[in-house]
Amino acid sequence: MAASKTPLYEASTQFKNWRYSPQSLAKVRSSLNAAAVAVIRNTFEADEPGSSSAVSFLTPDEEILLVRLYVSKITQLCGFFRFPEEVEATAVSYLKRFYLKNTVMDWHPKNVMLTALFLATKTTNNPISLEAYTNNIPKTNPSDVLDLEFLIAQSLGFEFAVWHAHRALWGIWLDLQNAPDAPPNRAASQSEVYDAALRHVRASRLSDAELIYTPSQIALASLSMASPELTAEWAASKFPSESPSLSMLQSTLGSITTLIESAARPVDVEAVRGVDLRLKLCKNPEKVPGSKAYLAKKAEEDRKAEEKRNRKAAIDAQAMMEEGDPFGDELAGRLVDYDDDDDDDD
Amino acid sequence: MDAVEKANTERQKRWVKDQKVGEGTYAVVYRGREASTNRKVAIKKIKVGQFKDGLDMSAIREVKYLRELKHQNVIELLDVFSSKTNLNLVLEFLDSDLEMIIKDRSLVFLPADIKSWMAMTFRGLEFCHRNWILHRDLKPNNLLIASDGQLKIADFGLARDFADPGYKMTCQVITRWYRPPELLYGCRYYSTAVDIWSVGCIFAELMLRTPYLAGESDMDQLKTIFRALGTPSEQDWPGHTKLPDYVPMGQFPKQPLRDLFTAASADTLNLLGQCLVYEPRKRISAKDALHHAYFFALPYPSQPTKLPKCAAQLTAALPLEELDGNTLTGKTNRLKRKLTSPSDDTKTRPAVARRLDFTKPTPGS
Repeated sequence: MAASKTPLYEASTQFKNWRYSPQSLAKVRSSLNAAAVAVIRNTFEADEPGSSSAVSFLTPDEEILLVRLYVSKITQLCGFFRFPEEVEATAVSYLKRFYLKNTVMDWHPKNVMLTALFLATKTTNNPISLEAYTNNIPKTNPSDVLDLEFLIAQSLGFEFAVWHAHRALWGIWLDLQNAPDAPPNRAASQSEVYDAALRHVRASRLSDAELIYTPSQIALASLSMASPELTAEWAASKFPSESPSLSMLQSTLGSITTLIESAARPVDVEAVRGVDLRLKLCKNPEKVPGSKAYLAKKAEEDRKAEEKRNRKAAIDAQAMMEEGDPFGDELAGRLVDYDDDDDDDD
Repeated sequence: MDAVEKANTERQKRWVKDQKVGEGTYAVVYRGREASTNRKVAIKKIKVGQFKDGLDMSAIREVKYLRELKHQNVIELLDVFSSKTNLNLVLEFLDSDLEMIIKDRSLVFLPADIKSWMAMTFRGLEFCHRNWILHRDLKPNNLLIASDGQLKIADFGLARDFADPGYKMTCQVITRWYRPPELLYGCRYYSTAVDIWSVGCIFAELMLRTPYLAGESDMDQLKTIFRALGTPSEQDWPGHTKLPDYVPMGQFPKQPLRDLFTAASADTLNLLGQCLVYEPRKRISAKDALHHAYFFALPYPSQPTKLPKCAAQLTAALPLEELDGNTLTGKTNRLKRKLTSPSDDTKTRPAVARRLDFTKPTPGS
């Protein structure tokens, strides 16, 4: 069977749809950023000609900076709620993936982060009621979370399953305990290696590593940062010595290590605050409830919906006329139609 | 319009809803087609707006797992899109399920037919288990049948992954008649063996043409199991008396399977017995079941296209022109059903057979 030859990971949506090269990642972000700037500029101009020239829009790098800050907030919240590691890692992936389809100028990461985390509790089978969730987060209403849930699910392509590096690390750790010349009781005697590696895996969540490398590559790089010796031991058990894959592996681990090291540096809060302040001035006014552009967009949508309803009513009326009896033949047949709430979405 | 919204609209346009075919508490199922190819599909529309906690767990589970699983014997999720506050799952169109076929008294099953259905069930289940997914609701009406006879495991609304050992899981899963004894005893740490028990029950049902272990309540379910297979001893199932909801049920003697399944071959009974082993760790795995002698002995499994199909399925397979304006087809069909099923039902089925949950819509039914 062909299916059994493909590694499980390679059949996953993560492998198929969420892998990038550093270059393609940069390209996705800059084109999203450029498109958003163009749209928002137009909206400003429509509102008041000439008004967009003074606005300083965010750059792709500034967007990343802001998202990174909210990635670190997920960790804080998960600590507070005592969510399992899987919830945290999944929410982080959701937040990063969301901003490969949307921009910060349309959707502020604060609420996106809250919703991504709430969604992750459900997709990892650790559900909590919305009430219990929002009651424990200051200045947050259930609607702040619910309003974005659909948009986020859509942005993720409804691909909820995520493969994580901390699981891969656990697997490697089990391999090491099972190695032929492993010292007895390695799990206890060398546990500080595992703990250090896990800290590196956690740091990697602040980087783009998971969008470029596989979970097992990230896990192994984290282990190599904690103990090059154990990494060499593990690699030797998996590859024949002199294998060309071994040197390729070394260079991959090197690139990941660089990513993790730079991610581990603390976020410059002042810089982020500056970005956030500017975001207040350049965010898409169509997404700000109450603004002129928001109301205009709303009115346009209402008008379209009204038009559609009228069109539908006209068609229904005509159908009724064509049937001959203006009162309709059989009520039973018609009632079914009213029952059907499909009306709202064709 | 946002790029994400635009992509959604594009997806939505690919599919056309034709007619409502079923409605349940949380979903409406439509027959539909792909606009460009006219390929038939089932569209399961999940009403999300009504849930105060947002997207509900069974919808999330179903989408999460079906997005990842692609196998001939697992229903294919073709697309997902949203419309207002509804979530729409586009699934491959399957016109009947194993329950309909079992109940269609006009059909005769050959041992080769049963072997074919079992092989397809185990193949699909082995794939789920290989992907670390427990189905947790296997029963005949979740095994759907395509027009070419292929069987597909459907309804992943109760599924979960089990890759992390040591996490407590709920024991309130699997429809009662197909629920294994460890869950009835409140076991919170369990394995792929729970699905295997369900497959064992389905295997027996294919031979008996009536549910094998039809208990009337959770308590009665255990009694029904023990009456059929004997009360387990500590040796049969070490440690079961320590399970959270253990209650002594009285002593029932072991009945040889042969007494009930008089026409079955030795291989058949051996595989059935291995699916219904009390000790979950000793129950056969889906992979080992696929290598069981039963599947290599004569008669070989029937070709899926040659398997018995129920009348409703045959009607659905007719070209559209023959159905349009030809109400006769429909009428004969109804007549035939009236003559066969209900009267037969009362004679051969225990009264509890009516307690099956038909309210849940099945794509394509």
